[in-house]
Amino acid sequence: MIPSSPFLCVITDEAFCPVALAEEALKGGAAMIQLRHKTASGHQLFTWAVEIRKRCREHHALCIINDRVDIALASEADGVHLGQDDLPAAAARKMLGNTSIIGVSASSVEEAVQAEKDGADYIGFGHIYPTVSKLKEHPPLGLENLQKAVEAISLPVVAIGGINVENAPLLISHGASGVAVISAVSRAKEPSMAAHEILCAIKTTMR
Amino acid sequence: MEHKKLPPPPLPRICIISSGEAYADKGVLLLEQLKLLPADIPCIVQIREKHLDTRHILTLAMKAREIKLPEGSLLLCNERADVALAAAFDGVHLPENACHPDKLRIFAPNLIFGCSIHSPAALHVAEQSGADYLLFGPVFDTPSKRKYGPPQGLKKLGELCRASSLPIYALGGVTPHNAALCMDEGAYGTAGLSIFRDSVRLPDILEQFHRILYP
Repeated sequence: MIPSSPFLCVITDEAFCPVALAEEALKGGAAMIQLRHKTASGHQLFTWAVEIRKRCREHHALCIINDRVDIALASEADGVHLGQDDLPAAAARKMLGNTSIIGVSASSVEEAVQAEKDGADYIGFGHIYPTVSKLKEHPPLGLENLQKAVEAISLPVVAIGGINVENAPLLISHGASGVAVISAVSRAKEPSMAAHEILCAIKTTMR
Repeated sequence: MEHKKLPPPPLPRICIISSGEAYADKGVLLLEQLKLLPADIPCIVQIREKHLDTRHILTLAMKAREIKLPEGSLLLCNERADVALAAAFDGVHLPENACHPDKLRIFAPNLIFGCSIHSPAALHVAEQSGADYLLFGPVFDTPSKRKYGPPQGLKKLGELCRASSLPIYALGGVTPHNAALCMDEGAYGTAGLSIFRDSVRLPDILEQFHRILYP
C-alpha cells in the first residue's frame, strides 16, 4: 500500500552507501526508500536490497527497487520503480502480482495517463525543478504541469527533481501525494535531519 | 492417469553469445544470425547487449523469440531473469558478480541458469547456488579479453572440469581447430562471440563445431 499522504521518498545516491543512506532516511521519517544504482553488480544490488528491505520493515516503510524487477523479486522488496526505458509496467505486473507496488516515471501528462492505464500504482512525476542529480533531456516541468498531472489521473503523484525543504510544501499544495529527493538528503550534512525537516515541512502543508 | 515428467533435453554443446553491437544496429546482426542457424544444430543463444536499456533488450528478445530456431535450441538472456520471463526465454546467463541462481529460481523455477566462472572459488559458489551449467574462460588468447591479462589456458579448464559434475563450456578464442582440445580436458561444449560474427561463414563454422562436439 502506498504510504498515506504526504510522504517522503528518498532515492539512493550512487556516491554513497545505499544501506547507510537508507538508514539515515528512515530515521528521518522517510516512508519509501528507492534503491537506484545503475552501475552496481547484480549480486551487490541484491545484497543491498535485502539489507534495505529489512530496515524498511522495521520502520514500516516501503523498499522499492529501481528498474530491476528480478532484484525486487529475489530480495522480496515491496515493489519496483520503472522508468520509460525500463520494463513496461504490464510485464512487471505479471511477474510481481497485485500486492507489489509499481511506480512509473512520467515526464509529461500524457506519460502519466499512459502509466495509469498500464497499471501503475503511483507516478513519479518530474523533474519539477532544475536538478543536478540526473542529466535531463527536457526543461523542468514546474508546478503547473504537476497540477495538470494530478488532475488527469487518479493515482498518487510523487513529485521529483530539484526538491528541497523550501519548495517541498508547494508540491504538496499543488496536489502531489509525496516528494522524492536524492541530493537534498544524501548531500546534507546530517541526512536524517534533512529528511526529518522535509517531512515536517510537507506535513504542515494544507493540500 | 498420471503423466511422468519427462527429463529435460540435454543442453546444446554450442553456445553463441551475441556481439554486443545491437545498440548500433538495432539487433539486425543478431536476428540475422538466428535465421541462419542450420536446422540440425541445436545451439544455446545468449543475448548479451550491455549497452541497451531494459526496454530495448526486451524488444530485441521478443523479436528473437519469434524466430524459429533449430530443434533443441535454447534462448538465454544475460543476467536479467525478469527480461527472460517477460520474453518467454528459456533461461538466463549470469555473470560471476550477478545475483546467485538460487535467489532467482524462487520466482523463475522453469528457467535454466548458467554461470560465468573464472576461478575454483567461483565454481564452488555457482555449484552451491544451483547453476545448471558453467561458462569458463578465456581459455585461449582473444583480442576482446587481452585487457584482463593472459588467457586462463587448457590446464585450468581441465582442473575445473574434473572438479565439477556440471557441464562446462569453454569460452575465449575457441575455434574448430582447438575445440577438440577443450573437449579432451572435459569441457561439455564451447562458446563464442566473434567466431560467429561473420554471417556468411556462420553455417559452415557451426557445421565444423558440430562435427567436433558431437563425434
